[in-house]
Amino acid sequence: MSVAVELRGVSKSFGDLPVVQRLDLDIEAGAFVSLVGPSGCGKSTLLRMIAGLEDPTAGTVTIGGASPAELRRTKRLAVVPQQPGLLPWRTVAENARLLLEVNRRHQPADHPDPLELLDEVGLIDFLGAYPHELSGGMRQRVALVRGFALGAPLVLMDEPFAALDEITRSEMRDLLARLLERHPATVVFVTHSISEAAFLSDRVLVFSPRPAGVAADVTVALPRPRPPELEDTTAFVEVCAELRHRLHGAMYGATS
Amino acid sequence: MTDRPGATSRRLRVVAPIVGIVVFLAVWEAFVQLRDVRPFVLTAPSDILGYLGKAPGDFFAASLITTRHALVGFVAALIVALLLGSVLVASPFAERATQPVLVLIQVAPFVAYISSIVLWLGAGDPPAYFTTGLVCLPAFVFAAVSGMRSADPASRELFASVDASRWEVMWRLRLPSSMPSLFTTARYSIGLALIVSYLVEGSNFSDEGLGAIGKRAAASNVGDALWATVFCMVILGTLGLGLITLLERWLLHWHASQRTV
Ligand SMILES: Nc1ncnc2c1ncn2[C@@H]1O[C@H](COP(=O)(O)OP(=O)(O)OP(=O)(O)O)[C@@H](O)[C@H]1O
Ligand SMILES: [Mg+2]
Repeated sequence: MSVAVELRGVSKSFGDLPVVQRLDLDIEAGAFVSLVGPSGCGKSTLLRMIAGLEDPTAGTVTIGGASPAELRRTKRLAVVPQQPGLLPWRTVAENARLLLEVNRRHQPADHPDPLELLDEVGLIDFLGAYPHELSGGMRQRVALVRGFALGAPLVLMDEPFAALDEITRSEMRDLLARLLERHPATVVFVTHSISEAAFLSDRVLVFSPRPAGVAADVTVALPRPRPPELEDTTAFVEVCAELRHRLHGAMYGATS
Repeated sequence: MTDRPGATSRRLRVVAPIVGIVVFLAVWEAFVQLRDVRPFVLTAPSDILGYLGKAPGDFFAASLITTRHALVGFVAALIVALLLGSVLVASPFAERATQPVLVLIQVAPFVAYISSIVLWLGAGDPPAYFTTGLVCLPAFVFAAVSGMRSADPASRELFASVDASRWEVMWRLRLPSSMPSLFTTARYSIGLALIVSYLVEGSNFSDEGLGAIGKRAAASNVGDALWATVFCMVILGTLGLGLITLLERWLLHWHASQRTV
């Protein structure tokens, strides 16, 4: 169960600063779409507009025919932020079900059990632990579970693994790929890592510097499921090379 | 592995304060004995204990009354501060508007207006409760507002992403976030509450509480009695702090302040 996202003429300015300008974008239901681009180009702003946490100055965002506000109201949208944002006074298990506990009028019908999710990400022995007793990677896993526990058809992630070291990062990436096989959703994923984008995505949108516009729209035709070994294949390396090339082009205005 | 840090912290928690008190009392006793200070100026701990021993029941009863005055005022201030704080975080305008009044309450010397409050509310408990609560209020409001404001922005966005109600954000996010600063303020306010109660008891015409005994003793130059009330106040303050520390360990165990080293 996933939904399509549709942006029509979306613009956003902060004061005199145009951050996103007349963006049209279609994200098909069930797709994993990564947003890459230079720092400060407006990726987070775009993601926050899709979540309805920021209002566009002009244009509309439609998610499965509804507005972002409607999706938030009915808890059909999950956000995984860069900082895990766990509540320090709640245990792992309590943090994992936080989003289920608020706004109870709109409990998603068949959401996954947070405890089973915690088991899937290897945290079953830490249910009673507090965030300060966890490593950075473990905290981010709790944040993933907290998002997926909603069983939302749309998941928005803003550089969720950026604060982690290289090794933990690729572990988390594989974990996310596995979670999505079992709990499919449309995913919009902001990242600075080319290989992360290549590994996870069906489609990578390369943004130009501010104001953000789509400089390149690259379809990643790698087969699924994607095991960790995929990284060593020539097909994968080629995708990465193309993305790097497109990103370079977007940033320095060479080829398009 | 688990009992060593436990033993260390027990030594820190129990033994260290006792050592501090004993050393302090010994220096005090020695000072009074060696310098031959007049009792009204400073009474030796041994004499204070002797005096307390003569009428322990009276001092115990008076201590209970002072405790009641202080505690009711303290808790009332805390509750009002939480209610007021939750309104003020939502409205910067209301916060700015309230600020001067709170500062006024905080800096106005309460000793100067105690008699006005007694005239207004009558003799007995009401002026004690009211003045204590009033004096404790500003610091609690400031702590509540800044604590609630400090709620992690990432968590606030998360709550917004599922359209959490104002009440849910308050109850599940802002209130717990304000606990560390509230506890810091409580540590300071518990002593303040006791002092205010003591002073009101000296002028509320009810002859109850440690403050009343102190007032009478001061009026008739009885150093032993005066210092005995001071001694009781110290004990009450210490117990109050201990209670707050226990509550803190229980409610704030997740906070960095609760981890030694
Ligand atoms: N609340 C705000 N008020 C004013 N300006 C803002 C605000 N949020 C973002 N901006 C500006 O908008 C621009 C885009 O910010 P945004 O966070 O979307 O970039 P980004 O692409 O996510 O960057 P990064 O990759 O570094 O995270 C930046 O120049 C930033 O200064
Ligand atoms: Mg960003």
